Amino acid sequence: MTLAPGALAARAHPFTPLVLTVCIAVTAVALPGTEAAVAVYAATLLLVIVAGAGRAALRALIPLAPLWFFLLLLHGVLGGGETLTVLGATLSRGGLTLAATQAARLGAIATASLALYASFSPARFVDAVAQRGWSFSLAYVVVATLLALPRFRARAASILEAQRSRGLRLRGSPFNRLRAIGPITFPLVLGALAEVDERGFALETRCASAVERRTALAPPPDRALDRVARWVGIAAALAAVMWRLLA
Amino acid sequence: MSALDLRLVDFTYPGAPSPALSQCTLCAEAGAVTWLTGALGSGTSTALLVAAGLAPRHTGGLRAGQVRTLGVDPADPSSARDLGGRVALVLPSPVSQLSGIAETVAQEVAFAPANLGWAAGRIHDGVARALDILGISHLADRDPATLSGGEMQRTVLAATLVLAPELWLLDEPASALDAGGRALLHRLLRAEAERGSAVVVASEDADGLAGVADRLVVFDAGRPVLEGSPDAVLRGDPVWEAGAGSTTIAALARAAQVSAPRPLTVEEGVAQWTR
Repeated sequence: MTLAPGALAARAHPFTPLVLTVCIAVTAVALPGTEAAVAVYAATLLLVIVAGAGRAALRALIPLAPLWFFLLLLHGVLGGGETLTVLGATLSRGGLTLAATQAARLGAIATASLALYASFSPARFVDAVAQRGWSFSLAYVVVATLLALPRFRARAASILEAQRSRGLRLRGSPFNRLRAIGPITFPLVLGALAEVDERGFALETRCASAVERRTALAPPPDRALDRVARWVGIAAALAAVMWRLLA
Repeated sequence: MSALDLRLVDFTYPGAPSPALSQCTLCAEAGAVTWLTGALGSGTSTALLVAAGLAPRHTGGLRAGQVRTLGVDPADPSSARDLGGRVALVLPSPVSQLSGIAETVAQEVAFAPANLGWAAGRIHDGVARALDILGISHLADRDPATLSGGEMQRTVLAATLVLAPELWLLDEPASALDAGGRALLHRLLRAEAERGSAVVVASEDADGLAGVADRLVVFDAGRPVLEGSPDAVLRGDPVWEAGAGSTTIAALARAAQVSAPRPLTVEEGVAQWTR
């Protein structure tokens, strides 16, 4: 996923999208009521679009659509209490409200997370951590985890191609498709496990295990707008938690 | 003092029925290229891991005997600080040696110097020089994950060269390289030895290393069984008896039942067979 050229999210300090994503998740879960959840989702959409990561909001609909459908089914159709009729279907009013609340919360969290993923630059994040003198190991774990998925996907694609060229059939009956899982999964998992050892050797000899103070190669600027955005996000999350606790 | 000094070293991997190194004694001097070879499982790769301290610190297993790498025991956990950036290890598979967090080749090469806390200017200069020597300056802004195997191995070598290590440990470093890459690697190893580094390379590439290495050590059953100048060792029968091999021309001569000493190069073969 890429951002629009010059997007605000790409220029932001690496900690800003990370902090805002956590704050959005906390606020969405902490604030009670459907209206509040919908408001958080709307604010998230607005923020993501202004930051130039609008495509993330569209991408988020892919995992959200089936979740929303199941929420509607679980709470709206199977829920009890007062009912209402929509397009000839009898639905639970309370269930629909609950489904809408949860759908909005999930929407806010998924959209913010995908926008974070789109704007995340491993090198800038590591430099930001180094600039503050924080643990390199922690930064490595965060970055390696975020980068693992696309690399795992690329490796799976190359294994898939290799197995297809050796006659593996991926079409046909469900049984055929099920049978194809093994020849793809086993090399993928075994290859990844074998690579772990060598990667460990390489990292150790490349001084990753004894970092005292890593050099920030191109330290990202932490502008006033970044700091304000982070503090506003933290304040909103804390206020939402306090509201939840005191209401 | 030798840059690398293994004395009567035994090493057994966890769960292995027999030791990978058995009474292994091996030295490598600064300013020289020491070439280790042997049959599969003869112990050359394990000797490099022991020298780097990764065995047993990373692999587990049991080690006995004395190991001194640049004067310190590399298995000692505190040695990482002493040896950081001074000992470099290059493995056969380039993809598993990438840091996994660099977005560009330049960042990949800068990974270790940044970890060592070098000044940014020194890192930028060192990276530019290393990329230039390895002939990959044009790849500086490429994502390392999108490189070919040969380009990736050149990147790994550049990431090693940038540190100017005192001890190079290389395990089949030419496995992903083409002919041009192998020639470049051989020039690099020679230049590093002349700079004063100790270079230890485990490889079966007899054709390439015969003219590069100062000393050849042939391993069998976890210990050196034969050593000397490559020129002398590769011409004889003992290198074959140890399960290793020689150059393609020597192998051809042996298959043609030419007795030792055998020719090692095309030129020598032509000279001998057209007499």
